[in-house]
Amino acid sequence: MSSETIALSTVGPDARPIGERLHDWIVTVDHKKLGILYILYALFFLVVAGIEAIIMRIQLIVPHNHFVSPQIFNRMMTMHGTTMIFFMVMPILFGFGTYLIPLMIGARDMAFPRLNAFSFWMTAFGGLLLYFSFIGGNGLYGAGTAPDVGWWAYAPLTARAFSPGHSTDFWTLALLASGVGSIGAGVNFIATILCMRCPGMTLGKMPLLAWLNLVVGGMVIFCISPLTAAQIMLCIDRYLGGHFFDTQAGGSAVLWMHFFWIFGHPEVYILVVPAFAFVSEIVPVFSRKPIFGYPIMVAATIAIGFISFSVWAHHMFTVGMSSYGNSFFVFTTVAIAVPTGIKIFNWLGTMWGGKIQLRVPMLFCIGFLFQFLIAGLTGIMLGTAPFNWQLSGSYFVVAHFHYVIVGGIVFALFGAFYYWYPKMSGRMYNETLGKWHFWLFIIGFHLTFDFMHIPGILGMPRRIYTYEPGRGWEIWNLIVTIGAFFQAAGILVFVVNLLWSLRKGEPAGNDPWDAWTLEWSTSSPPPDYDFAVTPVVRSRRPLWDLKHPEDPDWKYE
Amino acid sequence: MSSAAYTRTTAEPAWILPSRGRVGMFSLIGAECAIFTIFVVAYIFYIGKSVAGPTPRDVLELPIFSTICLLSSSLTIHLAVGALRRASMSAFGLWWFVTMALGTIFLVSTGREWHHLIYDKGLTVSTNLFGTTYYSLVGLHAFHVTVGLLLIALAMIFTLFGKVEPEHSERAEVFSLYWHFVDVVWVIVFTVVYVIGR
Amino acid sequence: MSPAESRSQTPEVTRSTIHLPAPTAWPIVLAFGVTLLLAGLVTTTAVSLLGAILAIAGFVGWFRDVLPQEQEETIEVKVEAAVVSTARREVARLPVAPDLPRALLPLETYPVSAGIKGGLAGSVAMAVLACLYGLLKQGSIWYPINLLAATAYTQSVHFSTASLNAFHLEAFLLATGIHLFTSLLVGLLYGAMLPMIPRHPIFLGGVVAPILWTGLLHSILELLNPLLNQLISWPWFVASQFAFGIVAGLVVVQQEQVRTRQLVPFLMRAGVEAPGMMKERDEKDESQ
Repeated sequence: MSSETIALSTVGPDARPIGERLHDWIVTVDHKKLGILYILYALFFLVVAGIEAIIMRIQLIVPHNHFVSPQIFNRMMTMHGTTMIFFMVMPILFGFGTYLIPLMIGARDMAFPRLNAFSFWMTAFGGLLLYFSFIGGNGLYGAGTAPDVGWWAYAPLTARAFSPGHSTDFWTLALLASGVGSIGAGVNFIATILCMRCPGMTLGKMPLLAWLNLVVGGMVIFCISPLTAAQIMLCIDRYLGGHFFDTQAGGSAVLWMHFFWIFGHPEVYILVVPAFAFVSEIVPVFSRKPIFGYPIMVAATIAIGFISFSVWAHHMFTVGMSSYGNSFFVFTTVAIAVPTGIKIFNWLGTMWGGKIQLRVPMLFCIGFLFQFLIAGLTGIMLGTAPFNWQLSGSYFVVAHFHYVIVGGIVFALFGAFYYWYPKMSGRMYNETLGKWHFWLFIIGFHLTFDFMHIPGILGMPRRIYTYEPGRGWEIWNLIVTIGAFFQAAGILVFVVNLLWSLRKGEPAGNDPWDAWTLEWSTSSPPPDYDFAVTPVVRSRRPLWDLKHPEDPDWKYE
Repeated sequence: MSSAAYTRTTAEPAWILPSRGRVGMFSLIGAECAIFTIFVVAYIFYIGKSVAGPTPRDVLELPIFSTICLLSSSLTIHLAVGALRRASMSAFGLWWFVTMALGTIFLVSTGREWHHLIYDKGLTVSTNLFGTTYYSLVGLHAFHVTVGLLLIALAMIFTLFGKVEPEHSERAEVFSLYWHFVDVVWVIVFTVVYVIGR
Repeated sequence: MSPAESRSQTPEVTRSTIHLPAPTAWPIVLAFGVTLLLAGLVTTTAVSLLGAILAIAGFVGWFRDVLPQEQEETIEVKVEAAVVSTARREVARLPVAPDLPRALLPLETYPVSAGIKGGLAGSVAMAVLACLYGLLKQGSIWYPINLLAATAYTQSVHFSTASLNAFHLEAFLLATGIHLFTSLLVGLLYGAMLPMIPRHPIFLGGVVAPILWTGLLHSILELLNPLLNQLISWPWFVASQFAFGIVAGLVVVQQEQVRTRQLVPFLMRAGVEAPGMMKERDEKDESQ
């Protein structure tokens, strides 16, 4: 009770010279520093890929616009997709996982701290290699610099004949490098969660965030590897004259699609399951109730992990499959909605009857709940083969997956940012700026992605750099672009809030949210060794047991 | 409640967690399995799809001897790890060396096979689909054997300098998991390339 | 017992130093080397060469870091673990179960047999009303049965009005099967759901729910059963749904409620019996 003074004494300026401090960060193997490095790196690429998105939206604001050339538009489109998936969302999720998992399971570091550093730097250098293509990728005349084959890089577009120069190679090699990093992170997550838990924390008593990241680790190792394999094949084709995807020598372009989507669809769940994890931690704390249906949440996550490996060809209904193939993938796609729906009901069940506190993290989580539900519903629509034949490759699809990634994942991410910012920085964020961020972003989000469905239904194909007037698409594209600027404004407020609060925010104390998981039992920011004494837990809410010794959880679990 | 509860905690069974080395290696093996699965699927998918010769039946011969060498190296590495655990260092050195020798024989015979295919039969990666898939699948496996051999050689050097102690037996065991995996993959590659594909 | 709590009772015993993995530059060197190795493919061979050298250096350095012993650094403990406490001492209890510290809701529910009984009773009420409609409006009790069977009995789509009024054995068996199966399912649903509904279970289950699913059927009936969709009389259809809902609801509510088992381990609820499953909890309770 009198410990606050001790905890606060660490929050002070570091007096050492900047070079020495920088050196500390570069050679570090500490999971907290690496987690923050991951997050900062991802935030940088969020801004970069966001600018690329804005460039595309400006180009599409009116018909026959000449803001950028078609070639540049293709590059922006490819780089936006690749960057956002591989160098923004994945690193940021790995960053939160790396930072939080050891703290939540009462460990001092990850299972393999050096591998952790190696994984981060592979991801980081992979991103730099990709962006080096803008200056280093001197292709042939007209072949472009940055990759421009779309983030699926379908064959035969990637063949030497259609993609001369090195732009596509930059894409392949960058993803190979970052893939190595991702697999390392996946291995590390699994080993950490299974082997580093503090005494008493059986699998059934782990925080949900640890459970969900365990599933993510498993999915990473089984789904990034196929991508790595496919990239190696593409390299063999492009450098050694192989024929994997060369249709003229008997190869198959469809095989690339299968390989890409065997990676591609579980990838969506790799991105969204950590978002589920954030929501599963934040919603109970701000509803002042334990999570509803803990074992079912775990079971549903594992089910999602398994089913996600059997749905990939719903991206390929228009490619043409047998009716049995179509039926199978429709069935699995619809089936995966069941465990996902269970999760949504469980979060609602957690909120139901609780004393809900509408702080910024909770606002973002509530936004997540609504938007992820709608994203799931349009997902079921698109997962139904006949509907998919009508709208595949249109802006409806673009709207759908942005609803998942922005409306679901990014909202949960922002919630996580505000929730753990006090722990990471030792200071509280500014609540007013946080609310500004939330409202600007949610308005912008709905302006952009609600209205993006409509030109899709009206037949506007994705990936076009301009369009004819008079098709009824103009007004929708205008609204969509305006929404993009609202979102950019929201992000600006967010960045300002982060920077301002780092210096001027109120000291947060160890446990600003009166929460229940172990990371809140140590100081903010945590010391290098996380816990001076390895904690011992007896229930899923160890801090509840300490705060309410007369009524602990472990008697009832 | 506290005193009674507190004395009981001390009597609780020891808190035992799985070894991180083994879990990490099993995860890595899982990832490698996925990579090999993709290459094997590609190989099977492209059997008989080459538009030009040579075909597998024309050029491939069963590598029986090198297969026996590689598979028996699984046994010798197992014996080596057992010896290290019993702290009989000379037996460990012997078995470890035999493992290295068997692995090297396998790698050399793969090299000779490739040499034969390239210079005598004119089969390269770019000749046809069979060449592409054959060299990439067998090459991926050979790459894993090479990595394993390098690590074995490194450990051999440490052994010769007397730096390896019985307390390293867990690391040796974790490495032997990788080596067993490489052998199992060879069984699959052998079946797919030399039995089904021929 | 967790450490912070035990500390508040026992004297402070903490180690003053902690061993952590030492910082090392080799992972970043290895990562940079591997990336350069790849980057050489899109630039020049020299880059790959440099990358290979860096990668080997990084690999060897890393190896020497962890073998024969892992490098560690020793850190002094500066911040003692804080005592965890909260200002919010009060814990709200569920108003429905004030005597239980933790409760699984609902506290009472209907046995499975209640749902089955309700479903069967409802199915009789519905069948009576439907056959009444056939007799009064179409002159044959087989008429609605043939219509229902058309869901799965493809020949009936081509039936003339006369044969719709006649008895067909297959159609009769199919219709009975469909009717009983659906009724049992809905009955079970009622048995599970009615205890959760706070007020007016009969009104909700007997009127609101039938209206909702009639609306659903109205929109999809063309796909399920085109023949029924053509010839259906919606007022009678709604009436028979009400009959089902009200009767099934009444029968379910008449049944005696059983208490749900609170806080029994999942394995026991699943019927697994093994020694020692409940023992630990009993001990803990004794120790208070």
